Amino acid sequence: MDGTQFLQQIINGLTLGSLYALIAIGYTMVYGILRLINFAHGDVLMVGCYLAWFGAVQFGLPWWAALVGSMALTALLGVLIDQGAYRPLRTAPRISALITAIGVSFFLENLGLVIFGGRPKAFERPEIFNQLYQIGELRVLSHSVWVPIITALVLAGLLWMIYRTRLGMAMRALSRDLVTVQLMGIDTNRVVAITFAIGSALAAAGGIFWAMKYPQINPLMGVLPGLKAFVAAVLGGIGNVVGAVLGGLVLGFCEIMLVALWPEMAGYRDALAFVLLIGFLLFRPTGILGQELPS
Amino acid sequence: MSREILRVAGLTCRFGGLMAVDGLDLTLRAGDLAGLIGPNGAGKTTVFNLLTGRVGATEGAVSFQGQAVLGLKSHQINRLGMGRTFQNIRLFGELSVLSNVLVGFHGRLEASFLSAIFRLPAYRREERRVLARAAELLELVGLQDLARERAGSLAYGQQRLLEIARALATGPSLLLLDEPAAGMNPQETANLAGLVRRLRDDMGLTVLLIEHDMRFVMSLCEHITVLDYGKVIARGTPEEVRGDPAVIQAYLGAGLELGQGEAVHA
Amino acid sequence: MSLREIFSPGPLPPAHLTRRRDFWLSLMGIMLLAGLLMGVERLAGGYWVHMTCLAGIYLVLASGYNLVNGVTGQFSLAPNAFVACGAYVTSLLTMAPAEKALNFILEPLVWPLSVIHLPLGLALVIAGLVTALMAFGMGFTVFRVRGDYLAIVTLGLGEVIRVVANNAQGVTNGPLGLKGIPHLTNNLWWTWGLAVVALFVLTRLAKSSYGLALKAIREDEGAAESMGINVFWHKMLAFTTDAFLEGMAGGLLAQLITTISPSLFTFFLTFNLLIIIVVGGLGSMTGAALAALLITFGGEWLRVVEEPMSLLGLSVPGIPGMRMVIFSLLLMACMIFMRRGLLGKSEFSWRWLLAVLSRRGPRP
Repeated sequence: MDGTQFLQQIINGLTLGSLYALIAIGYTMVYGILRLINFAHGDVLMVGCYLAWFGAVQFGLPWWAALVGSMALTALLGVLIDQGAYRPLRTAPRISALITAIGVSFFLENLGLVIFGGRPKAFERPEIFNQLYQIGELRVLSHSVWVPIITALVLAGLLWMIYRTRLGMAMRALSRDLVTVQLMGIDTNRVVAITFAIGSALAAAGGIFWAMKYPQINPLMGVLPGLKAFVAAVLGGIGNVVGAVLGGLVLGFCEIMLVALWPEMAGYRDALAFVLLIGFLLFRPTGILGQELPS
Repeated sequence: MSREILRVAGLTCRFGGLMAVDGLDLTLRAGDLAGLIGPNGAGKTTVFNLLTGRVGATEGAVSFQGQAVLGLKSHQINRLGMGRTFQNIRLFGELSVLSNVLVGFHGRLEASFLSAIFRLPAYRREERRVLARAAELLELVGLQDLARERAGSLAYGQQRLLEIARALATGPSLLLLDEPAAGMNPQETANLAGLVRRLRDDMGLTVLLIEHDMRFVMSLCEHITVLDYGKVIARGTPEEVRGDPAVIQAYLGAGLELGQGEAVHA
Repeated sequence: MSLREIFSPGPLPPAHLTRRRDFWLSLMGIMLLAGLLMGVERLAGGYWVHMTCLAGIYLVLASGYNLVNGVTGQFSLAPNAFVACGAYVTSLLTMAPAEKALNFILEPLVWPLSVIHLPLGLALVIAGLVTALMAFGMGFTVFRVRGDYLAIVTLGLGEVIRVVANNAQGVTNGPLGLKGIPHLTNNLWWTWGLAVVALFVLTRLAKSSYGLALKAIREDEGAAESMGINVFWHKMLAFTTDAFLEGMAGGLLAQLITTISPSLFTFFLTFNLLIIIVVGGLGSMTGAALAALLITFGGEWLRVVEEPMSLLGLSVPGIPGMRMVIFSLLLMACMIFMRRGLLGKSEFSWRWLLAVLSRRGPRP
């Protein structure tokens, strides 16, 4: 592999990793606060993509309006899922909530299949993300440049919110001890709802940029990115936003490099995330950033 | 003097910067009835957790029946003959009272998996024997009429007794009781004291117990070790400990009165 | 509220007093079942035979799965891997060498699989053993973690197995799958034979001292360990027993649908089993068996095995997917409103049934 090819793979890894990161943030925020693996996160992403598709194709909205509208509606969906399916189970054993989350996931997927049909829909890349830059041998799509930038901006904004605002303080307190924070008179439900809203909106954004990459959408598109983003969150140290981004990047690079270095292993690419996950859980269960594993 | 059953030397456990247990030395002889007391947070339960392999020690040595047990798994230590109860009751709540005791026997079950499934004669013989023993144990702690109730539905004091029966089922020679009288009324506490004495006198068990009810400890135990901030601050007979200035200081510092032996808090 | 609680007849007589009577009742139950199966075989069409077989297979899969998830309380999401393993092993062992050669067009099947041709009974036992061995290997990583991490690790392993099946061209024929697996004419008796044996073994196990130990692990792992129970090996015991049964059932599933490919063994299959054991009541073997029948027949939702229905010349109406929408709603509703499922953690017993039946007249 020569230098150009290597650089090319680095860029591919950065793009893929950033996409995983955007999705992983929502996973890690919800897990941090509720200790719940929101299985439906990947499917929320799928709904976000369809909403954007409807906005852009059916209503002819400009891409940014479709993106923002989809993020808003998906945030609402996230809150609805939490209030309808997870909130009644706050005091139940954690496995009950996990089973319910699996139920929500299948519900969204199958509702998607019934409403949208199983056939993929073309998801057009807006002009701004469709520029092709050629530098010598290197070919870079503007999409690959924008995605990491957007992820970095999102991360900066989130960190500001988490460490500089009252809401962020409440979130951090909640992730330590939900019951105590409740006793201190903080409306925990509101904070949980906002967490779901932010996580889901970011999932929609991640999903839309994911869809632009391929560029098509289908009702089962959220399953694999969702699972892998969860793995990314665990790799980085679950409950930690910076860790989620790091984990996403690590996973993205590893996947790209696996295929680049051993093309004959390409078929095993989708198993890599889980092999990494198992390795991490066995040898460094606290993840890259060393968050304590909740017992 | 009877033989030594437990020897703890320099046992230390550090959680981050906190010294939970700091160089504990403790020796128990077969048939001892000993107490481990100290203000809240003194590290008493941590000592039990170290002895039974639930928490790893930072330093020190523990020899039980002449065998080094640090580093062994909880179930291995249990099978060497160390049974315990828990401060925060940890029964198998969904199972019946009888089943809780039966689980205690399982660790020493000889019948194989297949012979249990097909109920071969060997398993059935063992099952009959174990059922009879379980009934005896329930009778011993006075829960024979509640054998088929759900363990989680028992009253607090009864749950404590069931924990003892369950620990006895594992066939211990040393029994560690973690606050067995907590939450019991005076009548129940008196009965418990009688039970613990019978365990020692009739069944030949060695007992080490943690308790906050001073009247209970002082009247029951023959040797008492006092911990404060993970360190032994006094040891000896109840009389010696009661008069020890360091002990009084530790308890007064914690806002407790030791004088009449009344437990100020549970 | 579970069925057991709604029809609660109060304390039952001790089991050992009625053991003889219950044995005869069970025997009569089995004979009744045999009569019913004979009726299905003689009178009903191919479609019903197929569905009855499927119900039997799901009964085995769900009650085995329940041993790990319900009884032992280890939330595994890997049964699809076990079923896949059993299905592939059985198929590769029972297909005629010539048939196998026809299948493996991209890459030949590795020796000695290419020449082996075994009778079904032997192949099923081998499939069970191989699957149990796989579970044994997986157990070393799986049981290092707990709770929802265990769920994700098992889910990941299930995914890894599927990816391997997709790529190990020389063994599994990759995405092409295996076609022309010998179709059993008397599959009904094989599946229900296995179902009766599995249910017998599993209920016996659940009631035995080993079963108590597994339940103790579910209730409080630490306390169980302090009571002298080797928690790791007991979890392993449940996991491998489950794998053995699921491997055999997977083999029979392959014989029933005659065509398998990796896409058949996705998380979707696990999801179906999860619904069954949740509806039946996590922890109840007989509950899982009952729910397997209810859901297989009641829903007729088994899109996993759509192909054989068209093979037999039957088309199934309805919007594909709508049933799954309903079933996922059912799962959520069950978790939120009826967390104990049909039977809770208790087992069906004749004593209970007779007590309910004899409690006539107004309640006190």
